[in-house]
Order: sequence, then C-alpha cells, then structure tokens
Amino acid sequence: MKRGSKTRAALVTLLMLLPGLACFLGLFFYPMMVTVVRSLRPEGAHTGWTLGHYTTFISEPRARDVIFLTFVLSISATLCSIVFSVILCLVLRRKPRGHRFFRLAMLIPRVVPGLIGALGLLLLFGSRGWVNLALIQFVPWITEPVRINYTIGGLILFYTWLYFPFTSVTTLSTLESLDPAIEEAADVSGANRWQVLRHVVIPLIMPGILAGSVLTFMAAFGAFSIPLIAGGNYRPLSVEIFRQIDFTPTRWSAASARAMIMAGLQVVFLTIYMRILRRPSR
Amino acid sequence: MNSLRQYLKAFSSARKLLLYTFLLCFGLMIFLPFLMIALKSIGRGWFGRLWLPPELTLDWYRWAVEVTNIPEITKNTLIIATMAVTMSTLIGIPTGWAFGRRRIPGKELLMSMILLPRMIPPIAYALGVAQIFYRLNLVNTHFGVALAHVAICAPYAILVLSATFEGLDERVMEASAVCGASPVRTFFHVILPLILPGILSSMIFTFTTSYNEFTLTLMTYGKDTITLPVRTYIALGEGYWEVTSAMSIILVIPSLLVLFVIQRQVAPEKLVGGFKGV
Repeated sequence: MKRGSKTRAALVTLLMLLPGLACFLGLFFYPMMVTVVRSLRPEGAHTGWTLGHYTTFISEPRARDVIFLTFVLSISATLCSIVFSVILCLVLRRKPRGHRFFRLAMLIPRVVPGLIGALGLLLLFGSRGWVNLALIQFVPWITEPVRINYTIGGLILFYTWLYFPFTSVTTLSTLESLDPAIEEAADVSGANRWQVLRHVVIPLIMPGILAGSVLTFMAAFGAFSIPLIAGGNYRPLSVEIFRQIDFTPTRWSAASARAMIMAGLQVVFLTIYMRILRRPSR
Repeated sequence: MNSLRQYLKAFSSARKLLLYTFLLCFGLMIFLPFLMIALKSIGRGWFGRLWLPPELTLDWYRWAVEVTNIPEITKNTLIIATMAVTMSTLIGIPTGWAFGRRRIPGKELLMSMILLPRMIPPIAYALGVAQIFYRLNLVNTHFGVALAHVAICAPYAILVLSATFEGLDERVMEASAVCGASPVRTFFHVILPLILPGILSSMIFTFTTSYNEFTLTLMTYGKDTITLPVRTYIALGEGYWEVTSAMSIILVIPSLLVLFVIQRQVAPEKLVGGFKGV
C-alpha cells in the first residue's frame, strides 16, 4: 500500500515536471542538436558529414580577431561593471536622498530593449551628441568632436551601460544583508574607513560581486543587438553568426559551426571562471 | 579642537558633494540617451552643433504610424506576447509546483538544466529553432514566434513560480483543513490569494521579456509577424533616425510604465534575474 502510494506520488511529480521538460527538450535541447548536426553537414545537404565548417573558420586569420574581440569586449565590460557597481552600491547603501529613484534607474538598462539603449547611446555620444557638444564647449583643448561611436572604447562603454545591472543588483543585495555589527567591530578596533572597506566590507561582499559579474560576463559574451547596430566594423561572434544567414545565399552550416564554437567557448570560460571564483572563499 | 571639527565638517560636506555629483552623473548617464531619443523624435532640422532641435514637429510620429504601419505591428507584438505569457504560465504552474513543493531527486541539477536557455547565448539555439520552424512551417505565424519566445520565458516563469510555491506555508493549509474547509474551499480562499501575487509577477516578467525579445524574433519572424523591436531594427537599417526614434519612444514607454507601476508591488530587481541564485 505504502509502496503503491509512493510510486503514484513519483508519477504525479513526473507529470507535473512534464511541461517544463517538454519545453526544455523541444525548444532548447532539440534546436541545439539540430545546430550541431547542421554544423557537421555540407552546406545545403542533408546527408554526409564534414568538419569543414569548423576548420575553414578556424584557419581564417580573421577568426582569431573575432574571438579575441568577443573576449576583450566581454571581459572589459565585466571589469568596468564591477568597479562601477561597487562604487554605486557603496553610495546607495548610505541611503542618500532619492536613493529609491536611483535604485529603480539602475534597472532601466535591463527593462528596455538593448536596441533602444544602443540607439540612445549612439545619439548621445555621436559627433553631434550632447557629450561632444559639452566637451567642445567646456574643455578648452577639444575643438573637434571626439570619435566615440564605432570604436572599441565606445563599445565597451555601451556594453557596460547595458549589462552593469546584473552586477550591481547582486552586489547591492549582498551589501544590504551585511551585518553592520561587523563593520562597527572593525571601526572600534581602530581601523579607518579605507581599511574597513578594503579588509572587511569588500571581502565580505566578494561572493555577491562575483556572482553578479558572471551574469554580466555571460550577457556581454552573448550580446547581439548592441554590436549589431553599434559595432560598426567590430563584429563579435554573435554578429558574425548572424551575418552568415543574413545574406543570400544563406550559409546555415557555417553559421551553426560558429554558434557551436561560441557556445563551447562560453562553457569552457565559465568553467574556468567558476574554478577561480571558488578558490579564495574556501 | 574647534578648527579640527570645522575641518572634518568641510571634509564630510565635500564627500557629500562628491557623492551627489556621482549620483547625478549616473542619473544623467541612464536618462540622457532616452531624452535624446525623445527630442530627436519631435525635432526637425536638428543638425550641426545645436543643443536642442530648432523646430518641433509631430511628423515623425505620423510617419511611423502611416508608413511603417505601427498599429498593425503593435497588434502583432501584443498578440505574440500574450500567447507567450499564456504558454509560459501554463508550463510554469505545474512545473514550478513540482520544483517548489515536491521531492525530486537531483532537483538542483534539473533546475540548472531548465535554466540553461538563459545562460547560453540565444543566438546559438535560435539558429536551431529557426531551422526546425522552417521545416514545420511555423515561421511567419504568431504562434511560431510566441513559441520561440517560450524558450526563454518559460524557464523564467518556472523559477519565479517555484520560489512562490516554496514559500507557501504547509501549516496554513492544515489550519484551513482543521477548521473544516473543503479542499476546494481551501484552494480558492487560502492558497489562491497567497500565490496570486507570484503568478502575476511571473506573468509581468514574462510579458516584458517577450515584448522586448529581439534575437529569437529576428530568426523566426516573417512579413506578417513583424514585432516592434524588429521593426525598429529594420528602420535603423533604412537610416531614418527621426522615425526610428519615434518608434523607439512608442516601444519603450510601456516598458517604463510597467517598471514604475509594479515597483511597489513586486521586487523589480527580479527583472534582472531569471538566473540561478538571483
């Protein structure tokens, strides 16, 4: 009797899990498998196997540049986000006037489509944008507009704008769950503000910062809409994939091979990142 | 002693000044892009080194409505988002319940697996989705685009809902049973009011996700299922920045409204999440 009810309970659980599993298998696993198979087929054919798409892409000298660019962009954006988020969270934690508003403002880059964010940033930092106007007006030695759009620096700035909320939200929530007594203890023991920050607060919120930065990194690595419209001649992997199928004749196999390389690189890099993350806290 | 105190005071006010300057710069950095889009969309002849557009006009909005057929596109976007929300919620409720309240061997692993679509760059599996949908003739149908969105919305719904269901207190239900309520009555009068906020917030979040989704739509849309983000992208390619700005404003206002309306009821920080542990 007991055994029977146990199997029944397990069956009910399985039935409940079924929609989620079906969604995962049908809309993620199966498409991934289709992509894998496609990347191993000759272009346009339904039979035969080839590794040609991988080898041609990797042997292209451009491939190294594309992969290098993808990493440079995502890693620099992650580092910028960490620095910026830590400062922002330390400020917001003091609950300055209007801090609720700034907390909400922090989420805006994630709530609006990346496309719109990129459009606004392109306008703002363009040669006729307000940033350049202000620079020309107020900085004596700048007379010509500074080129920000379509440069590496500009792209890193745009990436940071779009993806810092992942880091700042987790950092802020870790910072706010911190016990003030710990800091007071450090304070009473004669540590100055900087020492408290450097040796007590930052190490304690490090797990939050790192967890958030992983999310920023993943989002920046897979970024698509920003480099698509604001990248100019800089094309990271995602745009490179899209270009294969954007023009006729579409090259699905070549695109699939690049997508697999991208997914593979991300998994490898994340594994390394997680390894590094785990070490100092243990 | 007194001068020292004065010095400290000045120092602290300088700190305060620095703090507010920093916050101001941050606020400007977030809002100026949108202000610039808004001005671009109502300005005419804004060229050269001008701080503000010399003439104001609503022509670009008229263009957006007449030429690019915004009403039709908005309808597509809303139909697709509604379908995606419905499907994700229907998937999320049973699966979320199983994750939140039932014993599953290897629950952690299973959950990470379900959340994988939010980790892997969407473009990687969007390729596969597009190829499958071409074979099944799902491309250029509202259902097809919505189904593609479910790939990214459903994991989110499952995560939010499982957290909601996990928070349900067993004792409340027992108390209700002890007081003589039938299971049906318990469900409608005790459980439903408790889980409704969670379900609503999951619906809002999935709606925003679908409304803003670009990559998956770009791979599966056709001429009858163009959505607002895709149309904005196309307009950007056509090079009419003013019209694009007008469309962007139309697209972005609902998202911002939703953010400001829901901020009191649900933790809007969750909008950023949808990943494990956030």
